[in-house]
Amino acid sequence: MSAISVKNLTVKYGSQTILNRLSFDVEKGSITAIIGPNGSGKTTLFRALLSLIPHEGTVKIFQKQAKDVLSRIGYVPQKFDFDRTLPITVNEFLSFAYGRRSLKNNQICHEVRVDALADKLIGELSGGQLQRVLIAQALIKTPDLLLLDEPSAGIDIEGAQAFYDLVRHLNTEHGVTVLLISHEINMVYGFADQILCLNRDLVCNGPPREVLTKEVMEKLYGPEIGLRGHKHL
Amino acid sequence: MMMQLLAMPFMQRALLAGVLLGALLALLGIFVVLRRMAFFSDGIAHASLAGVAVGVLTDTNPLLTALGLSAILAAGMAWLERRTKIASDAIVGLIFTAGMATGVILLSFKRGYQPELVSFLFGNILAIQWSELVLMTILAVIIIIFIILKYKRLALMILNPEIAYLSGVAVTVYHTLLYITVAVAAVLGLKMLGIVLVSALLIVPVSTAKLFAASFRSLMVWSVVIAELAVLIGIIISVYLNLPTGAVIVLVGIGLFTLTLSFQKLRKS
Repeated sequence: MSAISVKNLTVKYGSQTILNRLSFDVEKGSITAIIGPNGSGKTTLFRALLSLIPHEGTVKIFQKQAKDVLSRIGYVPQKFDFDRTLPITVNEFLSFAYGRRSLKNNQICHEVRVDALADKLIGELSGGQLQRVLIAQALIKTPDLLLLDEPSAGIDIEGAQAFYDLVRHLNTEHGVTVLLISHEINMVYGFADQILCLNRDLVCNGPPREVLTKEVMEKLYGPEIGLRGHKHL
Repeated sequence: MMMQLLAMPFMQRALLAGVLLGALLALLGIFVVLRRMAFFSDGIAHASLAGVAVGVLTDTNPLLTALGLSAILAAGMAWLERRTKIASDAIVGLIFTAGMATGVILLSFKRGYQPELVSFLFGNILAIQWSELVLMTILAVIIIIFIILKYKRLALMILNPEIAYLSGVAVTVYHTLLYITVAVAAVLGLKMLGIVLVSALLIVPVSTAKLFAASFRSLMVWSVVIAELAVLIGIIISVYLNLPTGAVIVLVGIGLFTLTLSFQKLRKS
């Protein structure tokens, strides 16, 4: 059963085509990674899936329009740019998103180790801590679908590994469908069930071991790039 | 002397209007700073000169025409920001200068000294009328209640529109409402501070409270407290020393900011 079903999705800015007739399905309960070079339309695809921008074609999430299932979708943005001198505590930020909820005894906050940060100001958090808070805001509403836009960018390798372990846990234990944009091809190779390769067109779609071929990688990133040192290729 | 002053109707009107405007501008100022739209509030205040000019030319209360025009301009700016690729500051720059230029041309048709016009340019809260105070009270109370009820939604919409959208916030509606409320507050503030200085009361209280507030909630409370202190002390000093009220209020605000900053630096060292 599909969590996301996309048919002939096209996004244009003026005369420029950003996404060209994409069609794909994301299975319920799967982890799907979107890869592609900078400017290939990955974030635009997320925005189109959420109906945040005008697009052609059809997008269904859990067989409905995105705007009808927003409460079932958790989202971790790529950029979180704000005036860091403004005093907003972690607790306040999370309550902005989901009403007055105490972080105490919250299982998700405990799992992503955010409960100890409750009274800290979000402007004073490290990159990894802020990322955990953003993940907590996405998870606290117990979503069925999690959209992650380059979730481990700006955090160290250890933090990234812990993050991927958490996503795997949410997927296997809680059945959350995960769609994530990532630059870490080696990481998603062993992690995702399905890979979507994007470069304006959909260059590949399928299990990583089948679709991440040398030809596809060259088509995405040029002839110099490959999955360096990866034994499967 | 103080009691005599407080017994005078003009002083009562000024204090009441000052307290209302202090709270209104301080609360909205938090979102102006959070969204980095200080230039917007400054621009809309200047552009409202066209509305003031229409009021002066048609013998209508210029406060009404300025409010109407600025609300329309603010909604237009929010629309342009969403629907075009023109940068926000360029949109503000266009509206700012177009409004000022229109105001200057319209006012050239009216000869002689215009006390109403001078009160908008430089602010004169001591000359505020009861009818203006009633209008000010209604609008300020509506906007303050809106902020108190919806501040979480507004803050989230500014911090990250996508997260806000997924949390059920009608981002476009809140975006437009924020622009209109800032525009209305800025125009109401003209009666106290004037076109040139009105954005001070949007920026200075929150900038001062930011230096020590430990949460968003305390930032809201302290911004209002600081604004009220600046307004009340400013009005009293200006009456005693016979100085322009708006300018004194701004300088008291800046003084409070400097004192707080110095105290913070001393404490850290």
